[in-house]
Amino acid sequence: MKYQVRQAVAVGLLATAALAYLAASGPADSRAGGAQPEPVPVVAQQNEMHRAVHQLQQRLHGLPEDKASWAKLGASYVELARVTADPTYYAKAEGALKNAGDTGLAAVGMGTLANARHDFHAARDWAGKAIAALPASAEAYGVLADALTQLGDDAGAQDAVQKMLDLKPNTASFARASYHFELHGDVDRARDAMTRALTAASTPEEIAFCHYRLGELAFDHNRLDEAAQHYEQGLAARGDDMALTQGKAKVAAARGDVPVALDTYRKLVNRAPLPQYLQEYAELLEANGKAEEAAREYDVLSEQQRLMESQGASDDLAAALVAADRGDAMQALRRAEAEWSRRQSVFVADAMAWALHVNGRDAEALAYSDRANALGWQNATFSYHRGMILAALGRVAEAQEALVQALRLNANFSPLQSLKAGRKLAELRGGR
Amino acid sequence: MSSPHVLSGRRGQVAAAALVAATLLNAALFGSNGATASSHREAPLIAGDPAVDNTDLYAFVSPDNKDTVTLVGNWSGFQEPNGGPNFYPWAEDAQYDFNIDSDGDAKPDVTLRFMFHNEDRRKNYTFLYTNGVVHSLDDQNLLFRQRYDLEAIYQNGQRVKLVNNAQVAPSPNGPASMPDFKKLRDQAIVQIPGGGKVYVGPAADPFFADLRVFDLLYGGNLSEVGQNTLRGYNVNTIAIQLPKHALALKNDIHRNPNIGIWSATSRRSLKLSPGKAEAQGDFVQVSRLGNPLVNEVVSPAGLKDAFNGLRPDQDAGVKELVDRVVNPELPKLIESIYKIPAPKGNRDDLAEIFLTGVTKKLNGPIKADLNSQVNNADVDQHRFRASEMLRLNLMIDPNPKPNRLGVLAGDTQGFPNGRRLADDVVDIAIQAMEGAAASGKLVDALAAGDKVDAPDPAPEASFPYVALPHNGMAVNSNGNSATVAVNPVSNISNLDPMAMTTAVGSALVFGGGFFLWRKRQQQIRKYGSHSK
Repeated sequence: MKYQVRQAVAVGLLATAALAYLAASGPADSRAGGAQPEPVPVVAQQNEMHRAVHQLQQRLHGLPEDKASWAKLGASYVELARVTADPTYYAKAEGALKNAGDTGLAAVGMGTLANARHDFHAARDWAGKAIAALPASAEAYGVLADALTQLGDDAGAQDAVQKMLDLKPNTASFARASYHFELHGDVDRARDAMTRALTAASTPEEIAFCHYRLGELAFDHNRLDEAAQHYEQGLAARGDDMALTQGKAKVAAARGDVPVALDTYRKLVNRAPLPQYLQEYAELLEANGKAEEAAREYDVLSEQQRLMESQGASDDLAAALVAADRGDAMQALRRAEAEWSRRQSVFVADAMAWALHVNGRDAEALAYSDRANALGWQNATFSYHRGMILAALGRVAEAQEALVQALRLNANFSPLQSLKAGRKLAELRGGR
Repeated sequence: MSSPHVLSGRRGQVAAAALVAATLLNAALFGSNGATASSHREAPLIAGDPAVDNTDLYAFVSPDNKDTVTLVGNWSGFQEPNGGPNFYPWAEDAQYDFNIDSDGDAKPDVTLRFMFHNEDRRKNYTFLYTNGVVHSLDDQNLLFRQRYDLEAIYQNGQRVKLVNNAQVAPSPNGPASMPDFKKLRDQAIVQIPGGGKVYVGPAADPFFADLRVFDLLYGGNLSEVGQNTLRGYNVNTIAIQLPKHALALKNDIHRNPNIGIWSATSRRSLKLSPGKAEAQGDFVQVSRLGNPLVNEVVSPAGLKDAFNGLRPDQDAGVKELVDRVVNPELPKLIESIYKIPAPKGNRDDLAEIFLTGVTKKLNGPIKADLNSQVNNADVDQHRFRASEMLRLNLMIDPNPKPNRLGVLAGDTQGFPNGRRLADDVVDIAIQAMEGAAASGKLVDALAAGDKVDAPDPAPEASFPYVALPHNGMAVNSNGNSATVAVNPVSNISNLDPMAMTTAVGSALVFGGGFFLWRKRQQQIRKYGSHSK
C-alpha cells in the first residue's frame, strides 16, 4: 500500500483508558490483506462504514491500479473522520486520493476532503471538476452545496442542494435540505426534512447522525424531552457516538443534573478532546463554581488549538469565538478577520460581530450582526450576541428583545453565556 | 509541539500535567499531522439507500402453474439475519414499480405499483419491534408492522386497486420470538381478486455468485472463485403471480406471447423554498433493473449514475450505452488476462439479448425467434424501440429439468428468456459476453465460471418460490452461516464501543470484494463508476 500505515503508538501509556482500542483500530488498514479470516462478532453490522472501508482495502490489495476504488476509499476515510472525530483519517484520505488519478470520482473525494479541512474555495473548485466529469452525481453536487453554504453563497447552495435532491433523494440530500431550511429559520421543515433523512438512513452512523440533528433541532428550541429522546434513540443505534453523548450531557446540564453532565463531559473529553467539547465542559465547570477545574480545561483547550495551529490546521472561526468568550479581545478579532477575509457566511459574520463587540466597537459589530441574521436563522447564540451589542449601544428595548429571543429559543444555549444573557436582561430591566 | 511556558505556579503545574496528558492523547488519537476534526457542520455525503435499492429482478412462467407468470423483485440486500433488533423496512415515501411493456415501444403498458405505510404500535416505550413471541401476523406482540397497497396502472391512465392494506411479513427476529416463520410468511400471502397472489416480506437472497469473479477479471485470477458470497443473507422480496393474459398485449398470449419487464423504484424528493410553498417534491427514480448485471457489466463509466434514473424509452438515444452494449469491455479484459480471443466486430448478439430481445425479424445474428415483443402479432414494428429490459416469452412452458445455463444450454425457459431463481446469470453473462449466444457454443475455458452453481437454500416449489428467510443465523466472515450469540439491543450499548470498532477493523469481514460488488449498484449511483 502506498499510504502509510500508522503505528498504534502509545498503546501502553493509554492502556488504562479505552483509548487503546481506538489507537489500535484507527488504522483499520493495518490488518488488511494477509490476516486470516476471523469470525466477525454479531455487532459487525454496527460498523457498516468500517466494513465498507475494509472491503475497499481488500480490493486494492489485489487490484492496486483500481483508481476508482482509491477514490472511494479516500472519500470513505473523510466520512470516517467525521463519524469517529479522528482526523488522522484525513491524512489517510489524502494518501488514498493520490492514487485515484484525475477522474470525477477523485474530484469528489478531493472536494470532500477540502470541505472537511475548511478549505471551502478549493472544495468548490473540486466540485466543479467533479460535476463536469459526472453530471449525474448527487455527491458532486453535495460537495458543491457544502462549500457554498460555508462560503456564504446562499442562492448557489440552494441550487446545489435542490440538484442533489432531484438526482438522489436520500439521507445525504435530505440532511442538507434540513440544514438549508434551518438556516432560513424554517424549523418545522428542517425537522421534516431530517425526519425523511432518518427514514432513508440505513447505517448506524447515518441513523445516529439524523437523531443527533433532530435532537439538536429540539434542544435549540427548548424542547428538552424531545431532544433527550432523539439522543437516546441515536445511542441505541450507535452506542459510541460522541455527538450523541455530548447531546446527553447537554440535556443533563439543562435539567440541572450537573454531576451527570460533568461526568459525561469528562468522559467525552478524555476520549475526544475536541475544542467544542472542551469549551462546553469548561463553561459548565465555570458556571457551576468550579473555576479551577474550568481553568484547567481552558488551558487544555488553548494547548489543543496551539497544537493544531502549529500544524497548519487552524480553525479561525472557532478560535475567534473562544477567544471572545474568554475575553481575549485582540486574538478574537484577529482570528475573526482572518476567517472573514476568506469567506463571508452568516457563521463568520456572527463571529465578526462578537469579536468587534468585545473590542468595544459595537456600531461596527451591529452591522455584522445584521448580516449574521440576514437569512433568518433562529440561533440563540446569534441573538445573545446581538442583544449584548445592542445593550452596549444603549438600545435597551431592542437589546431586551434580542436577549429574550435568545432565551426563548434556547434557554440552555450555553451553560455560561445563557447565565450572562439572563443577568444582562435583569440588569436592563432593572435599569429601566 | 509548543511547550506550556505560559503557565506558572501550582495551577500551572497541574495544568502542565494536563497538557502533557492532552498532548499524548493527541499523539495517540490524532497523530502528529492531525488536523482538527471539523467545527462546521458536516453531514454524510455517501449514503446508501438500501430500502429502495433494487438488487434483482426475476420473471418466469410459474413452474407449478403454467397459466400464470411470476415476477419477483428484491430490495434491501445484505440483511443480517442475526435475530437482532433490526427491522428492514420498505420505504414509505416510495413507489416500487414492476413495469410491463407488451407492445415494444419501451413504455409501460401496465405498471404494478406497490406503496407502503407503517403501523407503529411501539409508542415511545421501546425500540424493539416485538414484545415477546409472535405467533401470527396479527399477534399483539408484533409492535411494528408495515402494510401496502398494490395498484395496476394502465397506459391509458386507468388505475385498478388490486390489493388494499395488506400486511408485509416482518423481518425475522430469531427463533425465540418467531419460532414458526413459515406460518407468518404464509399468512402474508394475499390473493388478488380475479386470480393471482402476492407476497411481500423477507426471503433468503436467491442471488448466488462468487462476486469476486468480476473483481478478479480486473487483474486477478479465477483460481479463487467458488464461494457463494451471498449465502446467508436476506432480502426484502415482492413476489407477484398473475394470469399470463393479464400482462400480454390485448390479453392474448397466443398472438402476443412476449413481454418486457423492468422494475423502477422511486423516492419522493423535497422542494427547497424555505418558509414558502409546499416542500413536497416529485418522485425521483433511483433504481432501475431489467436484465441482471447490466449496470455492472454494460453501462459505461460516466453513465452508471444516470442509468438508474433513465427510462427504457430513453435508452436508444443514449449513444454511450448502446456503444457499450455492442462494444463491451469484459471480453477484452478476458482476452488480455486469459488469452481467450474476444469476439470480433460489433456485438449485435448482445444488442439482441439486452436491447431488443432475440428475434429473426430485426436481422440480428442470433437466428431464433425467442422473446422479442417485435414477434408479437399485434405489434407495429415501426413503433418498436430498442431498450434494456428483461424479456419473457410466456408461451414457453416450464422446464421440469431446468438447466442453470438457460438458453445457452438449450433450456429456452431460462435466462435470457426471463429469469428463473436458479438461473446462473453470472456464468451466463460471461459466456454471452464471449459470444456463446451467437456461436451456439460455450467457451470451455470459462465453463466453470464462478463455480457457484445454485442458490442456497434452494428455491421453493410453489409460490412465492423464494426460500424462507434465514431466521437468527448471522453470517460469518466466510460468507457462510454460523450460529452466533444474539445481542439484544440493550447489550449493544453496553458493549465497549471501542472494542467493537477494533473487532471490526481487524476482522476480515467477508471473502474478497463481494460486499463492494454487491453494493456496487449503490456505489455506482454514488460515484458514477467502478471501472477504470
